[in-house]
Amino acid sequence: MRVKRGRLIAVDGIDGAALLESARDALAGISRPLRGGVSRWDASGVFQELAMADGEAGILSPRTLLLLYAADLAFRLRWEIRPAIDEGRTIVAAPYVDTAVAFGRAVGLPSAWLANLFRFAPTPADRCLTDAAAARAGCDRDSFVGVMCAGWADRAGVTREHVIHEMVRHLRADQKRRRRGTRPGSRRSPTARRG
Amino acid sequence: MFEKVVDVKPVNARSRAIRGQVRRHFEDRSRARGFLVAFEGPDGSGKTTQRKLFKTWLEAGGHDVVTTKWNSSDLIKPIIKSRKTLRALSPEEFSLLHAADFRCRMDQVVLPALWAGKVVIADRFLFTGLARDVARGLEFDRVLKLYQPLVWPDLVLYFSVSAATSKKRVSAMRLPNFYEAGQDVTEIDDPVESYQRFITRVIQEYESLADIFQFTTVDAEQAIGDQHRQIRALFGEAQRRPWSRWNVDAFAEWIAQGWTG
Repeated sequence: MRVKRGRLIAVDGIDGAALLESARDALAGISRPLRGGVSRWDASGVFQELAMADGEAGILSPRTLLLLYAADLAFRLRWEIRPAIDEGRTIVAAPYVDTAVAFGRAVGLPSAWLANLFRFAPTPADRCLTDAAAARAGCDRDSFVGVMCAGWADRAGVTREHVIHEMVRHLRADQKRRRRGTRPGSRRSPTARRG
Repeated sequence: MFEKVVDVKPVNARSRAIRGQVRRHFEDRSRARGFLVAFEGPDGSGKTTQRKLFKTWLEAGGHDVVTTKWNSSDLIKPIIKSRKTLRALSPEEFSLLHAADFRCRMDQVVLPALWAGKVVIADRFLFTGLARDVARGLEFDRVLKLYQPLVWPDLVLYFSVSAATSKKRVSAMRLPNFYEAGQDVTEIDDPVESYQRFITRVIQEYESLADIFQFTTVDAEQAIGDQHRQIRALFGEAQRRPWSRWNVDAFAEWIAQGWTG
């Protein structure tokens, strides 16, 4: 008997608690046998190992951190996301690609580099953006933004609040763009262009 | 080719000012010019021997020399090592983690040394990542872009040996390890046989890269002394050339992130 392929739902946003809540909400509407669980970042333990490293080993730049995030995502896809989909279940990735891309754009990295970095990640069947307002409160040192801003931001004179503000702006803009059906960088919708 | 892969990003007033600062630094003849030499080639091609001879010669000549080796950053090397021991890396993860290690060393070792006017000897550079990742089946263009913003070495020395020589030299001393032998992609149980198969692919990729990026090829099957004399002469010629303008982006991003203190 052929198993019907499962689905990937991406939940992106900045606040860790809100992400988890939205991920659980997304799964709640799915019958129990078809639930594939929630894939969370650092399943591979890369960032946990970094946190335990000797402080004198230096600090990492945003590009390096995003390369590590992408390596972790490749791990999640191989061991959590693809197996669940192949078994016909629905899995929620929280966060997935958009949060990392928003971080990269917030710190000024080129969109083309970010798009290339995450080219291996499949497009989700559904996307959800958590309430951006919640992000203002929940940004401790262990959160995504806390980890991604550790070290370099102080050195570069960039505040975590600025990064959060910019990430929220990019996440909202991307969401609007998707609703309109336009791609990043294009000013008019495909419909408008045809008209 | 190089022009096609240079990162393009919006230029604002601050980044324009930083780029100007980098250009002035590059053009300032009153300070020592940083110089980057990359040693590339398959295992067993004698790169390490030549790198050591070259370093000793440079230091005797009064140069301040910094060496950086592939997969050697304090932060990321342990992460890669533990996963290699467990044989737990897919080609994609292998590629991304090595690109992260490279970026980490660029930020912490290579760019600071070049900015300070030192000679940097890279025992393997991004071309190692490219040759190995493409030999593992990843797409060339995608892998190259992972390494942006690119830093273009002043001299890339490609130590050319045949797959048979590489295999003979490596297996004379030890058994190649799992990833070195490419056993993750060849699925051949015997590490030496797998190494021969994998290094043949890697050498093919290196030879394409040597054409595309105009490496200087050193015949690594000739005598050690002859190779060393050739490297000294090449360094002398390359030293007369100015900084590569392609490197402005990499230095500008590094300065913008406050690495210069």
